[in-house]
Amino acid sequence: MALEVSHVVGGYSQIPVLKDISFDVKDGELVGLIGLNGAGKSTTINHVIGLLTPHKGKISINGITIDQDSQAYKQQIAYIPETPVLYQELTLREHLEMTMMAYDLDQKAAWEKAHKLLKTFRLANKLDWFPANFSKGMKQKVMIVCAFLTNAKLFIIDEPFLGLDPLAVNDLLNLIEQRKKTGASILMSTHVLDTAQRYCDRFVLLHDGQVKTEGTLSELQAALPEAGESLNDIYLSMTKVDRA
Amino acid sequence: MTGLFKTRLQRHLREMAKYLRLVFNDFFVFALLFFLGGLGWGYSNVLKTLKSGLWWAPLVAMLVLVIVAQIGRFATLIEDADRVFLLPRERAMHAYLVAARRYSQFLAQCTQLIALFILAPFLSVALGWTLPQVLVLAVAQVVLKDSLLRLDLASVYQVTGQRRMNQWEFKWLLAIIVVASGVWLSPYVALILALVADGAVTVWERQHWQRQQIRWREQIKIEDNRMLGIYRFFNMFTEVPMVSGTIKRRRYLDWLFKGIKLNHSQTYLYLFSRGMVRGTDFSGLVVRLTVIGMLLLYFVRGEWLPVILAALFIYLIGFQLLPFFQQYDDVVFTHVYPVLPELRLKSFVKLVTLILSTTALLMWVVVVIANPQLMTAGITLVVEAIEVWYLARIYTPHRLARADKK
Repeated sequence: MALEVSHVVGGYSQIPVLKDISFDVKDGELVGLIGLNGAGKSTTINHVIGLLTPHKGKISINGITIDQDSQAYKQQIAYIPETPVLYQELTLREHLEMTMMAYDLDQKAAWEKAHKLLKTFRLANKLDWFPANFSKGMKQKVMIVCAFLTNAKLFIIDEPFLGLDPLAVNDLLNLIEQRKKTGASILMSTHVLDTAQRYCDRFVLLHDGQVKTEGTLSELQAALPEAGESLNDIYLSMTKVDRA
Repeated sequence: MTGLFKTRLQRHLREMAKYLRLVFNDFFVFALLFFLGGLGWGYSNVLKTLKSGLWWAPLVAMLVLVIVAQIGRFATLIEDADRVFLLPRERAMHAYLVAARRYSQFLAQCTQLIALFILAPFLSVALGWTLPQVLVLAVAQVVLKDSLLRLDLASVYQVTGQRRMNQWEFKWLLAIIVVASGVWLSPYVALILALVADGAVTVWERQHWQRQQIRWREQIKIEDNRMLGIYRFFNMFTEVPMVSGTIKRRRYLDWLFKGIKLNHSQTYLYLFSRGMVRGTDFSGLVVRLTVIGMLLLYFVRGEWLPVILAALFIYLIGFQLLPFFQQYDDVVFTHVYPVLPELRLKSFVKLVTLILSTTALLMWVVVVIANPQLMTAGITLVVEAIEVWYLARIYTPHRLARADKK
C-alpha cells in the first residue's frame, strides 16, 4: 500500500478543515482527488507532503510515517504544486542539480533522464535562464521535470492541467503512465473531470472536508445509480446535495 | 474622489509615522544632532574664508538649487488594483490627482525653503546679495517647483509628444534655465521665467486632460518605485516587509561556486551560496558594511581602536546574516525535499563562516597596512579568528535552532 491516510482530522488552525478522512493509494495506481473549491483537496495534499501535522489520525507511505523517519518518508515523495514554486536565484540547470542533490540521485543517470524530459517539454535550450521569469505553463513544466527526475514512489500532483498546453498535458499523462508501470503511485487533484475520468484508476470525492464516496468509476456509478454515467454527472449530483 | 485620496493619505501617513518612530530612535537622533552640528560648524567656518566675487560661487549655488528642485516627488498613492477598479471612474480621477499634487506640494516646498534658508548666508557672502534678492529667488524656486509638480500631474495623461515632456531631461533643463538666470542675471528674471513656465504648464494641462486617458501602468510603476525608495530608506534602520531585493545573474561570479561539490549534504550550501551572491539584499549589506569597515580602519590609528572596530563590524555583519536562513522558508520544496534540517543548518553555518572569514581577512589586511605596530595586527587577527569562530559556529546554530523550535 503506497499511501495510506487513515482517520485524519486536520487543517491550518485549530478549526479542522478535514473531518476524519480515510483513503489509500495502491502501488501502480493513479487516484484522482476530486472536490469543489474549498473541499479540502489542497489541505489533504499539504498533510501528505508533511507541511501540516494532523490533529488526529495517521498518514503513512509504504508503512513509514513522517514521525518515524522524516528523511525516508520524504524521499518517497515527489510533489508538483498547483502554483509553480521556484527558487528566484537559481537557473533551470541549477534547479535540476538542486533536485538531484536533495534526492541524492546519481548525477550522470539523472542528467540523462533530465535531458530526455527537457526535450519532451521543449525546455532544453533554456537551461541557463531563470525559470522565475518563465510563463506559468513553462514554470509548471519545470516543476514536472524536477519531479519526474526523482525515483519517487509516490507522486503528488496538484491540479496539473490548468496552464499547460494540450501537448504538455498529453506528455504528462504519458509520463504518469510510464511511472505507473514501474510501480509508482500517483495522487492527483483536479477539476478537469473528463481527463480524470479517462486516466484515473480510482476517485476520492471530497466534499466539505469529508470523503463523500470513493472507488472506481463503475463503483461510483453503482453507488449513485440515478446520478448519471460520467464522472461529471456524479460530481454534480454530489455537490447538489448541499445546494438544495 | 478627493475622499478616496484623503483616506489613502491618512493610511499612508500612519504607516510613515510608524516607521519614522522606529528610524528616529534616541540613538539616531543623538547621532544626527552631532552630525548636523558638525556640518553647521564646518559650513560657518567655510563661509568665514569666502570672499565676494569667486567665479565658482554662482555655479555651486546653481547646482544646489537645481538638485533641490528635483527633490519632492509627485506622490499619487496609486495602487496596482486601481487600473481595474478605478478605470470606470477615470474622468473623476482628476480631482484625486489634484488633491495628490496639493499634498505633494507641502513636503516639496518645505524642502525648497529650507534649502534656500541654508544657502542664504552663502549667497550673501559669496555673491553679495541683499535680503530682498534672496527672498525673490526663494519665491522663484517655489514657483519653479510648482511648475515641475504640475508637469508631473500633466504627464499622468497620455498626450502625444508628451512622453518627451515627462522625461527627466526636460525637468532638469527647465530648472537649470530658471536657476541659472536667477544666479547670473537677476532673481527677478528667474521669478518671471518661473511664472511663465508655471502658467504655460497649467494652461497646457487644463486644455488636454479631459480628452486624454490616464497612463495607468506607468503611473503605478512610478508610484511603486517611489514607495520602494522610501521603504529602502526605512529598511536601513528596521525590517520592512515590502522591500524585497532584486536578483542579478552575476555570471562573472560563478567561479565562486566551483568549490561546492554536488552531493547530498551540500544541497543547501548550493542554494544559499547562489542566493547570497545573486540576491542584492544580503550581499549588498555585507559588501557595504565591509567597505565602510575597511575605510574606517584605514583612517583609524591606535593600539586598541582598530581591534575594537574590526570586531564590531564582524559582529554587525554576522548578526545581520541570521535572517537569511529563513529566506527560503516560503518555498514549499524547502520542506518537501528529503534533506534533514540539520544539514540545512550545517550548510548555513558553513556559509556564514566563509563570509565572515573573508570579511575578517580583508579588514585585517587594512589594519596591517594602516598600523605599523605588529602588536595591533597580531591582536586583531587573534580577536577576529575567535569572533568568527564563535559567531558562526556557536552563536548562529544556537540562535537558529531556538528560532526554529518556536
